Amino acid sequence: MIKHFAPTSLNEALDILENNDCYIMSGGTDLMVQKHVSSGLLPKFDKSVLYMMNIKELDYINQDDKGNIHIGATTRYVEIENSSLIPAIYKEVIKEIASPNIRNMATLAGNIANASPAGDSLVPIILNDASLILASKNIERELLVKDFILGVRKIDRKANELIKEIIIKPQELNYFYKKVGSRKSESISKISFLGAYRIENDLIKDLRVALGSVYIKVVRSLEIENKYKNISSKEIDDAQFVKDYLALIDPISDQRSTKEYRNQVAENLLRAFLLELKGGSK
Amino acid sequence: MEIRFTLNNQEVVLDVNPSMRLLDVIRKELHLTGTKEGCGEGECGACTVLVNDEPYNSCLTPVINVLDKKVMTIEGFRETKEYRIIADAFASMGASQCGFCTPGMILVTHALLKKNPHPNEEEIRFALAGNLCRCTGYQAIVNAVLKISEENK
Repeated sequence: MIKHFAPTSLNEALDILENNDCYIMSGGTDLMVQKHVSSGLLPKFDKSVLYMMNIKELDYINQDDKGNIHIGATTRYVEIENSSLIPAIYKEVIKEIASPNIRNMATLAGNIANASPAGDSLVPIILNDASLILASKNIERELLVKDFILGVRKIDRKANELIKEIIIKPQELNYFYKKVGSRKSESISKISFLGAYRIENDLIKDLRVALGSVYIKVVRSLEIENKYKNISSKEIDDAQFVKDYLALIDPISDQRSTKEYRNQVAENLLRAFLLELKGGSK
Repeated sequence: MEIRFTLNNQEVVLDVNPSMRLLDVIRKELHLTGTKEGCGEGECGACTVLVNDEPYNSCLTPVINVLDKKVMTIEGFRETKEYRIIADAFASMGASQCGFCTPGMILVTHALLKKNPHPNEEEIRFALAGNLCRCTGYQAIVNAVLKISEENK
């Protein structure tokens, strides 16, 4: 039998999850679309539902003494956009997600758990090595978001677990972000690109690239990144750099774009990022 | 499940399924039809209502998410003097044609002006980005909000 649970505390939620396999609903902006049947009818669920948004203790953004920023599971995008603790790159990405109305409702935890290849927030989250805490009644575990997301809508969550918070690190990198969609607001990405770098004494000390909507999950390669560290940006062979990344991606054609377009735009964005990295114009 | 919230300044207690869309609660249970359903998937903003003064798409809001919160629809907002100012500006600038998007546009405009009484054009376009209009093509709507912004100075 399908049951509906609306706990008001984390402990209550974790007790429920010990005995019930549930969809976990936060703002509803993905699940209410996926389970929608028709105007005037209830959404159709094939298992029980646990509603998160009345758990007020998970609505927080705070910073610990190491400088890491903790974002509670029911914290909505609008709160993240307006918080002075959140690094600018996250705000830049979030401001281009969906619409203001959706950002008043939707949560970062929900976007991560939805595990869409086109989830825009995942791009800075994965590029910056953000992690999350999965809580269950007796134990908590922390893992990198990149390891939590296994594939399209596949996540490493056990039935008795829920995302309690996301932990992001303060960053001192230069960022280059581009979201390509069919209009400025409310578009789901055809492709999203985030590059980051830190240069000291003409040497690249940190270099990162994350690409969204071009594979079953956000693409990032530590191997390629390490290959281009501790050299001068002038030494990077653009064609080789592009080739390294294009070998990793495998975009599909869907209602939003085509495989060919996505491959071409990925190449263009990689080259634009290199131009900036090498001190050229944007 | 018993769900309690404030609708247009009046307390409402309903025994409904918590997954019911707030839009269906408003239109079908409470018979307030000023809130419109356009796309039903969170893109058009015709179903916008204010929840604790913030615009929400009621088509994607399970009613449990407004437990103990303040919900305002166009019917409630119509009784305020702020409504009259916005409605007059929309009328004088030709910002409403078929009217289907207008309840949502007006509520989003109110939420914006409450936070920022003098928005510039960029801020107006950013705030209204979740509300689609297929008649007037936005410029008239932006002009209406700009007019209020100017008059607030």
